[in-house]
Amino acid sequence: MIGRVGIVAVAQTKYNPNRCDVNEEELAWEAIKPVLQETGLSLWDIESAVTCSQDFWDGRTISNMNVQHVVGAHLQHEDKVCEDGINAVFIAMGQILSGHHDTILVVSHMKESQGEKGAIENAAFDPAMMRQLGLDFTSSAAMQARRYMYKYGITAEQCAQAVVRNYANAKNNPFAQEARDLTIDDVLGSNTVSSPIRALDAKPISDGACAMILTTEEKAKKLSKNPVWVTGISNCYETHYLGDRDLADCDALTAAAKKAYSMAGIKNPMKQIDVLEISTEYSYQEPLWLEGLGLCARGEGGKLVDSKVITMGGKLPVNPSGGMLPGVPNGVSGLARVAECVLQLRGEAGERQVKGANTALAHGYTGICGQHQAVVVLGNS
Amino acid sequence: MANRVAIAGIGQTYHKSNRPDVNQAEMVGEAVRAALEDAQISIKDIEGMFYSNMETFEGIYLPDHGMIAETGAFGKPGFKVATGGTSGGSVVCEGFYMVSAGLYDVVMVIGFEKQDCGDTTAAITAALNPSWSKGAATGAIGEFAKQALSYMKTSGAKEEHAAMARLKADKGACRNPYAHLKLGLTSVDQVMESGYLVWPLRFLDFCPQSCGACVLILASEEKAKKITKKPVWLADVEVVHQEPFKAGTFGDPTGTETYTQHAACERLYKRNGITDVRKDIDMAEIYEPSNWEEMNLYEHLHICEKNEGWKLIEKGVTEIEGEFPVNCSGGVIATNPIGATPVIRIAEAALQIRGDAGEHQATKDIKTALASALGGPNWTTLALLRRSI
Amino acid sequence: MAKEPEYIIVNIDVPRKYDWSTGKYLGKVYAEAKENKKLMGNRCPKCNQVMWYPTVVCPKCKVETGWDWVELADRGTVVQYTYLVFPLWDPHYGERWANSHPSAIIELDNGIYQRHWLEETDPEKLKEGMRVEVTWKENYDERGLGLQDVPFYRTIED
Repeated sequence: MIGRVGIVAVAQTKYNPNRCDVNEEELAWEAIKPVLQETGLSLWDIESAVTCSQDFWDGRTISNMNVQHVVGAHLQHEDKVCEDGINAVFIAMGQILSGHHDTILVVSHMKESQGEKGAIENAAFDPAMMRQLGLDFTSSAAMQARRYMYKYGITAEQCAQAVVRNYANAKNNPFAQEARDLTIDDVLGSNTVSSPIRALDAKPISDGACAMILTTEEKAKKLSKNPVWVTGISNCYETHYLGDRDLADCDALTAAAKKAYSMAGIKNPMKQIDVLEISTEYSYQEPLWLEGLGLCARGEGGKLVDSKVITMGGKLPVNPSGGMLPGVPNGVSGLARVAECVLQLRGEAGERQVKGANTALAHGYTGICGQHQAVVVLGNS
Repeated sequence: MANRVAIAGIGQTYHKSNRPDVNQAEMVGEAVRAALEDAQISIKDIEGMFYSNMETFEGIYLPDHGMIAETGAFGKPGFKVATGGTSGGSVVCEGFYMVSAGLYDVVMVIGFEKQDCGDTTAAITAALNPSWSKGAATGAIGEFAKQALSYMKTSGAKEEHAAMARLKADKGACRNPYAHLKLGLTSVDQVMESGYLVWPLRFLDFCPQSCGACVLILASEEKAKKITKKPVWLADVEVVHQEPFKAGTFGDPTGTETYTQHAACERLYKRNGITDVRKDIDMAEIYEPSNWEEMNLYEHLHICEKNEGWKLIEKGVTEIEGEFPVNCSGGVIATNPIGATPVIRIAEAALQIRGDAGEHQATKDIKTALASALGGPNWTTLALLRRSI
Repeated sequence: MAKEPEYIIVNIDVPRKYDWSTGKYLGKVYAEAKENKKLMGNRCPKCNQVMWYPTVVCPKCKVETGWDWVELADRGTVVQYTYLVFPLWDPHYGERWANSHPSAIIELDNGIYQRHWLEETDPEKLKEGMRVEVTWKENYDERGLGLQDVPFYRTIED
């Protein structure tokens, strides 16, 4: 890699189950305005924008048309990413490191309240075979949960522990949609949505946006007192047909993590990473993704989620922000994880700050049972 | 220093209006295999995958996910883009930046659209602001009809000129084995006899809905030279977007707006020392959804002066045998699988530089070519290709 | 002799419903249209152009536009028009329809450009430069659908 890419400002909207008071451009602007104000830049200083939105969710073909003027794209360069927003960071890096653009605005927006989740997600399944089964991401996740729990003996209680911890952590996050004091019994007592996933095991519908500004190393040092550097990044595809892989594993995540760790010089993630922000729409994904990230052996995720290791004050706190479970829209979550990591590394995470954090990992995914996985490693030195 | 990037492999499907014999993934797989065959490398050598497709047209959400097996993307990194007509141009730019940055050495850029399984016009109308504009919409065709009206008024072009442009495009398409619409037109009168679709656009004046895919293999300088004896250098790219004009989409009756084509060209040409387009560049593959827009684009891309585009058509300057060939392949008006179309433009320009365009090879030697894409509310992407740098 | 393959075509007809929010700015347009039969755009403080449709950031100046509202003039001159000869799909209902009404670009008397349907369906009577005037759905209960509250711009003599 030639040179480093710095993140100089981040912002998120407060996540909310229904932002009927704003349309997509106004919502995105709520996240963009603060990053411009923080850096003292105007939209004229933004040489290129990388946006992230899904045509199917926005209900608009070429959905980035919704946000053209709020990213300053009139007579300017703009790119769009149709996977989770974390991948927009990767695209922005390519533009910066190739020397084409110095200052890039990255924005992801999503209003889950506007669309019909089941119908949209069903359209991701191949039309000839799987779509006819009426699957959506929840029912397919349920199959993954069931397979994972069966193969490794992960329990419903262990998954519920992830819910309890994330909702409690959310209390310290001013952007969180909802914070709650839950018990494992609360989670296990909630209605079954798609067995074994219960209502509290699944994240609620959410609207929100996240924005950040990325620049060259030289510019980052001028624009920010404490820029955060992207030290490792990668993504990876898994197979599509559910029967083609063992759903109890997440090889795509392991591959992406391996590449990102190698770029960042991380040989022992548990030791070398100080804080982790991962994206999970369903509780079983927390132990599964932690295994995929190499933080424990395969099948040990349940024990890890049950332990003190990943709590605030533990060796490697996971989701001090509360993560995605209390309510963050898909497509925005991965980018919001990066934003949270940036705040941690700058020491600006307030009540949810992990002391002395120097290296952080952000994770995002897209598609059926995490078919596309992305990992970003960040550092502040 | 950024890496230099070359096109090391090209593949496309035979574009048609209907491909009931394959599903979307299989169709794209054909182009992937063709590109690997052309480059004589294995899928194992590809480090990253870049996809372009307008998913609302086929009603398939996350289409790149559905074709992991057929495109060999399993276990590989990848991205997907959907920016409308310029999707394919943007995706080539993304691949270009990643290789140029040294993040990957060899990537595959894939554009595709299987338009027999959806309704394109309804999807295009869905591009308008949902709270608002759908009622007044007539799809892309209506917008190009308005562009044609603007052009006729400001430049003095006549319907005969549009017909001549259509004839030129068909001649190219009939010589291009991959092109979709091969009508065998023999005269301007034949075009003038076809009925109106949205006045003043005739049935023949607008691009079809095609099923097709096009794949490029981009490689860093070091790798490209190992893979192929004829790398085509992707010297530079440019992307410019805009807010819609206040009075029109592809034509501006007020005469006050700046076109993205103009802004993109100014920047690209300045960076690459191009001062006289017809001297410094040898040919162009441009994205012209209608023959009227082709003449307009000649002006916006600085191939000629303002209001002179129709004169180039009249004088035959842009024919295959002409002094500045444009769209020897038949262009977009003959073949338009939307997600693939800009990739096809770059692929066709690259074939010209390699001398591999067969029967639709330009008569003059092509050392430098320009490829453009157009989409959304008149967005532009450009790519500059060279035989040597 | 080999038989031609028979292709099985499977139709999947899945309606996808959306509940779009107008947001603050377009919300005001809907409200003014319903309550007061007025179309309102907002003015950019930097270039003084009126945004139609109103928006939170001026695309050309790249600054916030604020809340300075200007009413669109009722009358204007047709700059350009086009009409469908061949039916296209209606995006709202998924049916094929031939809209005989032309789609036009109208320069309103206070300089704002409007794009809408014209009432005049006879191509012989259409010409650039013709004068037109907004028409409204007069029944209050039928309004509240944004630009659909304005059925057409009708031809006038003035």
